[in-house]
Amino acid sequence: MRRRVFLTGLAALSGCARPDPRPTITVQRIFGDCRAHVPKGGAPTQNINGECEIITGLLDRFEAENPDIRLNINTVAWPGYDQLSAQIAADDAPDLVTMHMAVIPDYQIHGLLTPLDAGLKAQGVTPDQFTPVARRAVTMNGEVYGLPFDAWTQLFHINMNLFAKAGLVRGGEPVLPRSAAELLDQARRFRAATSKPYLVQSAVNERAAYARNLYTYLLSAHEVIFPDPHHIRLNTPRAREVVGLFKRIHDERLTTRDLDYVAATTAFINGEGGVYIVGTWMIGNFDNEAAQPGRPLYRGYRVKPYPALFGDPVLPAFVDGHAWVMPKKARTPAQERAAFRLLKFLSVHEGDWTRSGHLTSMAEVVGDPVYQAQPHRRDLMAITSYGQGLPTDVQRQFAIQAMLSEELAAAITGIKPVEKALIDAEHRINDMLTNLS
Amino acid sequence: MIGRLNRQGWPNLLFALPFLLVYGWLLVYPLLAGMGLSLNRANLFGGARFIGFENYIRLFRDATFLQALGNSLLFVVMCVPVLVVLALGLALALNRATRFAAFMRSAVFASSVLSVTVMTIIWRQILAIDGGLLSHGAHAIGLPALPFLSDPNLALPSLAAVTVWWSLGLPMMLFLSALQQVPRSVFEAAALDRATPWTVFRQITLPAITPALVLVTAYECALQFQVFGQPQLLTQGGPNGASRPLVLYIYETGFNQWDIGYAAAASQMLFALILVAAFVPQLAQRLWRRA
Repeated sequence: MRRRVFLTGLAALSGCARPDPRPTITVQRIFGDCRAHVPKGGAPTQNINGECEIITGLLDRFEAENPDIRLNINTVAWPGYDQLSAQIAADDAPDLVTMHMAVIPDYQIHGLLTPLDAGLKAQGVTPDQFTPVARRAVTMNGEVYGLPFDAWTQLFHINMNLFAKAGLVRGGEPVLPRSAAELLDQARRFRAATSKPYLVQSAVNERAAYARNLYTYLLSAHEVIFPDPHHIRLNTPRAREVVGLFKRIHDERLTTRDLDYVAATTAFINGEGGVYIVGTWMIGNFDNEAAQPGRPLYRGYRVKPYPALFGDPVLPAFVDGHAWVMPKKARTPAQERAAFRLLKFLSVHEGDWTRSGHLTSMAEVVGDPVYQAQPHRRDLMAITSYGQGLPTDVQRQFAIQAMLSEELAAAITGIKPVEKALIDAEHRINDMLTNLS
Repeated sequence: MIGRLNRQGWPNLLFALPFLLVYGWLLVYPLLAGMGLSLNRANLFGGARFIGFENYIRLFRDATFLQALGNSLLFVVMCVPVLVVLALGLALALNRATRFAAFMRSAVFASSVLSVTVMTIIWRQILAIDGGLLSHGAHAIGLPALPFLSDPNLALPSLAAVTVWWSLGLPMMLFLSALQQVPRSVFEAAALDRATPWTVFRQITLPAITPALVLVTAYECALQFQVFGQPQLLTQGGPNGASRPLVLYIYETGFNQWDIGYAAAASQMLFALILVAAFVPQLAQRLWRRA
């Protein structure tokens, strides 16, 4: 009997391990999970320039180079703010989190984020190293609340093989429209020549793309979208013109219909349309496709900024970015130092991250020949100077984006008239913004 | 009641005390706290300010809330009668001691075992216009594929169909258990009297299983008013809010917009609705008995 008790106790004890003395920090990120093809300490076996592959590799590398720090990596579904809010409310926030710059004000205004100035400075990272757009987006009340990690925007991803078939390639460059009428004309020619729609769009369950399209062409006209932080203005002649153009494209079947994000991405990869309007984050994936012989995009992929269609004073680009933020919570000094060491590492390797297609948010990288030599960068780099974001004092920008996209989708697909959709969107968004607490 | 307690002695109440404490802590307190919260303007991280019934007034001016309320009602109307009739029909058909009936009972119940995530993945593969099973089927016979998840007239009925498929198991089991309580001798007597199957069903089976019928109807009403996972994962409430039920509205208001006081007010409306829906079948049963 004694022997049995002794052996049972021994077996129980063998399950115990000595506590890890290293400081542990929890890193919460989006960008998906791809451990299946990114071995620890090895190169990705596929899609080497994908967001997930790069960030997984970077965090692995940090762990390898910093064995005195233990990372607890928590991968969440995009955008991850429901989980984060619940974690903060439950006093169980992670140490570092990926956050869209547009969302930082929501958390900062409630005192939920740690200012990073002093900690970053101790690591040799100062705000003057950020691009002006990124610096403005992460700075609130004179303090920095996020380490900018990139700048992103939506772009025209082009299937050059289909463009060539439609006669829309000149001197190796895609011919893009210079007005709304020209866009419709080219789209009709494209359809006639290829029997495929000019545009590929994610339309089902889409919570962002339509709003970003509208922001792009409102900002380029210097339209004041938010007269004050609690009101949006949408029912303007320009907004009606932009939404009307996309509705016409839909009505004339010059775009794909009824596809969700995954289906739209697959459709573009499979050569089902000429131009896919999606963000910088897909450049690495599409370049990968363009390098595969036999694939519809093989040696036939280009990406360009939105064309100016309305004769505006500035070029169209709505820009946001990803940043790393540090939610407020009790940490040991060792954990805090570890978190700032990781931030320093990420700022140093921001250039690696931009292989995914994202634009840099570090001023030094803009002029880096290695960065400039990356595919398509010469076409896109200027966006970091002329791209515009929404005012940082407007809260709930993701909720606004979702509501606006829902109303715009209704207008474009003909469920409700354009003007009514814009009025409804204005009403819903203003109701939310005027009732903020 | 008090007299009885005095006769039996208060110490007996102690047996129920652990349950009452947990019930009060996990159910009554959150309910009252939610009611209190609905009278405040508050976000996820505090900042509550008492505003009386302003949230409720705002709700009735909110077209999105009213649309979600209508969707929830419509969803219950689409699901519950179909579920009750189908489950009862299946229970009647499978209430026999054969291997085939046993297999079919397990097969029907199996769908209920799936998590909502798995179930919606399966149905997405069936309903998606781009490469979905129904889409392939339609193309095969020369018909155009229907956008089940992106047409405002099809999205909610599609969700209802998915939900009926998923939820059929439990009501069928409840009906089966009620049917097995009916003494065989009554059916044998009816057979001797040469009663038709319809007469047996109307005069014997239905009266015998009325309590189960009321229970299933009330339970399914309460359950289907709380639909959330299916619309969130399949349609995100779209297009144009056509498939957004109340719980999804509450979730978006509370967690995406952080308007937690307003979301709490909408929750109280849902609570009232479920309460009414759960009592209506019982009330109908009592009125029927009196008549």
